[in-house]
Amino acid sequence: MGHVDRARDFVANTERTTWHDEVLWFVRAKRDAAADTLPEWEALRDEAAGIKRDVLGRLPELWRRFEQEATAAGATVHWARDAAEHNRIVHELLRTHDVKRVVKSKSMLTEECGLNPHLEAQGIEVVDTDLGERIVQLREEAPSHIIMPAIHLKRGEIGDLFHQEMGTPAGLDDPDELTAVARRDLRARFLAAEAGITGVNFAVAETGSFVVVTNEGNADLGTALPRLHIACVGLEKIVPTANDLAPFLRLLARSATGQPISTYTSHFRAPRADDGNGGPPPELHVVIVDNGRSRLLAEPAFREALACIRCGACLNTCPVYRRSGGHSYGSTVPGPIGSVLAPSQDPARHAELPHACSLCGSCSDVCPVRVPLHHQLLTWRSHLAESGHHPRRRRLAFRIAARVLSNAGLYDRATRAGRWIARRLPSRWLDRLGGPWTRSRALPSIPAESFHQALAAREEERP
Amino acid sequence: MSIALFVPCYVDQLKPRVGLAALDLLRAAGFDVEVLDGLPCCGQPLLTAGEERLARDVATRFVEGTRAFESVVTPSGSCASTLEIHGRRLVPDPPGGRARVVELTRFLSDNGALPSPPTEFPRRVGLHASCHALRELRQGTPSETREQARTDPAAALLREIPGLELVDLTRRDECCGFGGVFAVEEEAVSTRMGLDRLSDHRRGRAEVLTSTDVSCLLHLEGLARREGPPLEVLHVAEILAETHLGAGWLETNAIRGADGSR
Amino acid sequence: MSAREKTGRKVDGDDARSEILARLEAAAPEPGEPFQRVPAPAMPDDPTSLLGARLGQNGGVLVTNASATDWPTHLDLPASPAAFAHVHCQAGTALPEHGVASRGVGLEAKAVHDLSPLDLCVLEAEFSVVENGASWHVPASALERGAALLAEHLVILTRRSRLVATLHQAYPRMTLGHTGFGWFLSGPSKTADIEQALVLGAHGPRTMHLVLLDD
Ligand code: SF4
Repeated sequence: MGHVDRARDFVANTERTTWHDEVLWFVRAKRDAAADTLPEWEALRDEAAGIKRDVLGRLPELWRRFEQEATAAGATVHWARDAAEHNRIVHELLRTHDVKRVVKSKSMLTEECGLNPHLEAQGIEVVDTDLGERIVQLREEAPSHIIMPAIHLKRGEIGDLFHQEMGTPAGLDDPDELTAVARRDLRARFLAAEAGITGVNFAVAETGSFVVVTNEGNADLGTALPRLHIACVGLEKIVPTANDLAPFLRLLARSATGQPISTYTSHFRAPRADDGNGGPPPELHVVIVDNGRSRLLAEPAFREALACIRCGACLNTCPVYRRSGGHSYGSTVPGPIGSVLAPSQDPARHAELPHACSLCGSCSDVCPVRVPLHHQLLTWRSHLAESGHHPRRRRLAFRIAARVLSNAGLYDRATRAGRWIARRLPSRWLDRLGGPWTRSRALPSIPAESFHQALAAREEERP
Repeated sequence: MSIALFVPCYVDQLKPRVGLAALDLLRAAGFDVEVLDGLPCCGQPLLTAGEERLARDVATRFVEGTRAFESVVTPSGSCASTLEIHGRRLVPDPPGGRARVVELTRFLSDNGALPSPPTEFPRRVGLHASCHALRELRQGTPSETREQARTDPAAALLREIPGLELVDLTRRDECCGFGGVFAVEEEAVSTRMGLDRLSDHRRGRAEVLTSTDVSCLLHLEGLARREGPPLEVLHVAEILAETHLGAGWLETNAIRGADGSR
Repeated sequence: MSAREKTGRKVDGDDARSEILARLEAAAPEPGEPFQRVPAPAMPDDPTSLLGARLGQNGGVLVTNASATDWPTHLDLPASPAAFAHVHCQAGTALPEHGVASRGVGLEAKAVHDLSPLDLCVLEAEFSVVENGASWHVPASALERGAALLAEHLVILTRRSRLVATLHQAYPRMTLGHTGFGWFLSGPSKTADIEQALVLGAHGPRTMHLVLLDD
């Protein structure tokens, strides 16, 4: 089952689709209003895109510097070529520190690497602490949005979940009350955790520091309490200097939700200070992960996707995403950016995703770092066709179409014959021949003459 | 200035009057126009399907076949964008250069002296922004960007028509969901996108739905005819022809079998 | 082919490091085009009202008409600070005559964990950012960092002379202090993960006041 089928299932629920579309459009509208507050909006996008483009040419130098500075500040830096190596490193750290309970804040990278199932298989309890992530974790499903993981769910469904999992009264669906219950439950888990795992929004080469942003403060609680902090960072997340953070942080929250900034923008450089209670000294570990990023970097057509700061704006604006839901994509990251990233990870599995797009271009215009998303999706289509990932019959059909369209005589005969037949067939038959087009749409009535014929006729009449 | 009119295949076959309108408007504006024959396609359907090599062959034929002209005008934002945005990447300039491909309303408002003033068109009109005219050719300012405002030539030409009221939309430039092969392969989402656009126009009490792209209109018209109150669908060129070339132009030029004037 | 397959020897961290760096060297594109830096925008004409509006968007409350000696009376809290059992004040922020002073378990805390529950935490910002309501703060200790998160109510003191217009002006002023940690705090802890309904107090403070003091 691919995007087409899952999207059809989603759309079949008209009410839910309307709600999903409208709530995300509302987020897009808040983003528009936030962009309106900065006259320098487009210049900021230029600057952010410029920094990222510069960074892509200097990654080895920047990461070496980061490693040097972070190590000097007391952090330990690890390198992981792929998801398996990443998971192994994290597990090894937890094992040697005798950790059984971990609190994790939202990180699309650990999601991509499948860290949770890996750790759980080794008997370690991993609790996702972002409320939305916690909800989908309890439902044993994937996030459907990169910053609003549970946006596919209605409050009633979350109420039912909490009733089952946390014993709330049946029918309780008030967001305030449900959040309060989750807060109590998670506070106990924060206090009990022996390690905190976070993602990284930006790493800074010059200072060896990194930035994590949240609204809930869950990354902060998860690193302020336990003595072990493991931060997992994708290779693309680095900027040269702390001053470079300004344009990105000015764009990020505004693009994501329309807020002027996230509630917590935390800058980490060293293990947290010791609270002096005689335990082992706190530790900070940074795991730098490739997992296909260097491969993407080597692809001139797609490398700009590495500039992505995961704001989610392209999802919110995407008319397809809003009406098909995040799960329809079947990839870690859904929406336009997900459809660009996924085929590079697994072309056979995700060959369909670049076609889950009407090429409207809204994503490219909304993107704060100017990733040319819809052009990349178009390019993917031909790359995937050339590498044998398109059905043979489909390709044959287009070869025939190309023949007709490049031969004036053939075009003329084929279209005359086509219209002659179409005008004589009962409309019931035509609708059947129309296939998916006519499932929801009436065929246009077929004119007796083409433009060229009509023109010729007219010019005969009045020469 | 040597000018050719390009009437793309689906307009040629399904909405022939749109081609006639474009031709008559250009002539009325004083241009000596040659109608392209034997070059039915810009390559777009092939390109968006992922068949870039086939698209390149078709686009090359087009570029070669039109290089004698300074401009090729077409009543299609998406064909113009295919040739201008992707065609320039796919097909290198032939020796001696290539024609610039320009969408009709852009051409008319940049160069045009349409016989003016236009006559009345007392209808409420919903203008559907073609994504390719808007976000590829930058005819207008996409709602996502904070770039310096650019006027949409289609809207500007329609605003000059007395009695014509452009309806306000809640989402002024959301995609209609046509998207070429997308309309067929992702039929369910495409349909939902189109229905949502239609209800926005209907909320604005549009009596006529128009656009610079026939492809969007075929999709929306197909949906509108299956459900809801009737909505007349006309290409911008047809409205301009009716109001600039003498009321009754639409009827005079109605094509047998076509539902252009309904 | 992985390093293990190539060399047959055990893969360790150094192999991963050099292999990744080599991949990046090989894949690196030509240097990017030069780009324009955005000039730092000027301080708006009425910084206080903009600051208040932006902070309000974050769910925080700006207190503008208070003085260094009476600010606790201007807070909109469910009880007066004197009624709270557990309070943490950053050094130099206490006002005992208004019931604002560190007390309760926090004083004897052995670990950050002992601070929970905490009613009120008072911090002092190094500076605050007008464009987004954020205040830059460098915790003096692990306890202070924890207190800012575990408290039900957060108060941050800042000064008019310490307002900067935007993040462009903020970064050149920042340090991470000796704890190697610093943060922008811009409101109460919040979530909208249930149907996009805004709820304050997701994990940390339910209210946040920013008190703007004259110098
Ligand atoms: S591609 Fe751009 S818009 Fe999409 S999530 Fe990344 S940064 Fe945001």
